[in-house]
Amino acid sequence: MASRLRKKQKDDFGTAYRGHEGQWSWMFHRITGVAVILFLFAHVVDTAVIGWGPEAYDRVTEAYKNPAVHVLELGLVLAVLYHSINGMKVTLIDFFPSLAGHIKVVGRTSAIVFVVSAAIVTGIMTKQIIDLL
Amino acid sequence: MATTIERSTTSGDGAPRPPRDYTRGSERPVGGFELWMWLFMRISGIVLLVLALGHTLIMHLPSGGVDRVDFGFVATRWASPFWRSWDWMLLTLALIHGINGLRNITLDYVRKPGTRFAANMVFYVLGFTLFVLGTIIVVTFDPSNWPPVA
Amino acid sequence: MATPADVLQDSDARRAGGAAGAVTLTLRIRRFNPEISQDSWWDEFTVEADPLDRLVEVLHQVKWYHDGTLSFRRSCAHGICGSDAMLINGRNALACKVLVDDVGPRVTIEPIRGLAVLKDLIVDMDPFLEGYRTVLPFLINDSGEPDKERLQSAEERARFDDTTKCILCAACTTSCPIFWGDEGYIGPAAIVNAHRFIFDSRDEGSRERLKILSEKTGVFRCRTTFNCTDACPRGIQVTKAIQEVKRSILFDRF
Repeated sequence: MASRLRKKQKDDFGTAYRGHEGQWSWMFHRITGVAVILFLFAHVVDTAVIGWGPEAYDRVTEAYKNPAVHVLELGLVLAVLYHSINGMKVTLIDFFPSLAGHIKVVGRTSAIVFVVSAAIVTGIMTKQIIDLL
Repeated sequence: MATTIERSTTSGDGAPRPPRDYTRGSERPVGGFELWMWLFMRISGIVLLVLALGHTLIMHLPSGGVDRVDFGFVATRWASPFWRSWDWMLLTLALIHGINGLRNITLDYVRKPGTRFAANMVFYVLGFTLFVLGTIIVVTFDPSNWPPVA
Repeated sequence: MATPADVLQDSDARRAGGAAGAVTLTLRIRRFNPEISQDSWWDEFTVEADPLDRLVEVLHQVKWYHDGTLSFRRSCAHGICGSDAMLINGRNALACKVLVDDVGPRVTIEPIRGLAVLKDLIVDMDPFLEGYRTVLPFLINDSGEPDKERLQSAEERARFDDTTKCILCAACTTSCPIFWGDEGYIGPAAIVNAHRFIFDSRDEGSRERLKILSEKTGVFRCRTTFNCTDACPRGIQVTKAIQEVKRSILFDRF
């Protein structure tokens, strides 16, 4: 029987499943999580350089003082922000299951909190980049 | 008149039949590793809300952003045991939280058991190494090892 | 007076031709036939249908008058047997509950995701049913036979009422992104059917089921995406039921 079954094909996911808002927020939660942990791997190492003294460490921090890196840093802060806010949403639903009945309201509130805080952070950090240029 | 349905509670040789066991021989308690990690992700998530988001915002938002960060900045900060503890707890919780996230992702997408095992081992070893490295630095860092040149 | 033959004639005419109130519907159907090719392809059919026709009737029209090789499962055709779960315009639904009116002039129909396709819209339900069997979906009570029926209050009955409604259509499980990645995950339907017995006061097998549900393939794989609750044609609060099982495990341990 198994040999007649089709192996899963690449274009199986050609059409997007038009799922609940939770499908997309889960996807972004995963993407931001991977982004932040990969950054963390690099960050532990670049901070550990301080064990080799000020010349070594300041060389590392100098490398980060340019606008391109600052744009990436904005992306990082937004990723941490999204992952935190959506994580709180998931945690609240897990510990207060009656919220599952009001998922639309919870989802919308979480989205608004993110958009507002992201706007504030983007405003502040963009101004910093512009001041540098 | 009530009719009772006869069901044999003895096996063929007359010995009482033991109750059916559906546990498949498992003596594990309800919950286990998956429950602990599920709970850890949520509890650590709440703590990291303060530690990680706090760290990110206080580094990036004040004027100057991370351009303020250099040897002196860190030396000043780590003069206080409060910040060293904060940073160490941040390191530990974020690493475990993140590595477990990666474990979940491999569990979802890597089907071959051997490949999944290898991927998980890479994450655990990497995570543990970074934990040791970070702990050594945050505990032993002493700026007086590099006195300013007169 | 119309004879039965007249009624059938008229019905056939309505099906094959156009009729007043009919709309034109274009169906884009994902086809697969392992005897022809290992690749799947899209077919388009344009039919006349009444806006209140169910999609399963339109699929019959396609099969009977346009392409006899089109294959799909269906049985009761009115929303209770769960045979005709399909991916309709990007969402899981029962073809017998979706009206032509609901889907507009174009409808895309695909087999449900995450399970191997056998032919056209027919999928291999074995992994889904395997997950279902894993949770011991039957009453476990070895306390001995009572003199009459096992009594249960109205409140006790209401506790698990929602999860008795499952018809095993697989719409929920095949809408779950975790199941798409790993068909070893037992999935929402299995958890719902476990919930039905765990919270049944007459059942004594909760611990066994909760142990099974605590494993890697169990309830902690759920990422509260809510696709399952949306997809359920019976309106079961699936995610909420899964949350309740998670809490059961949590409070058993702590």
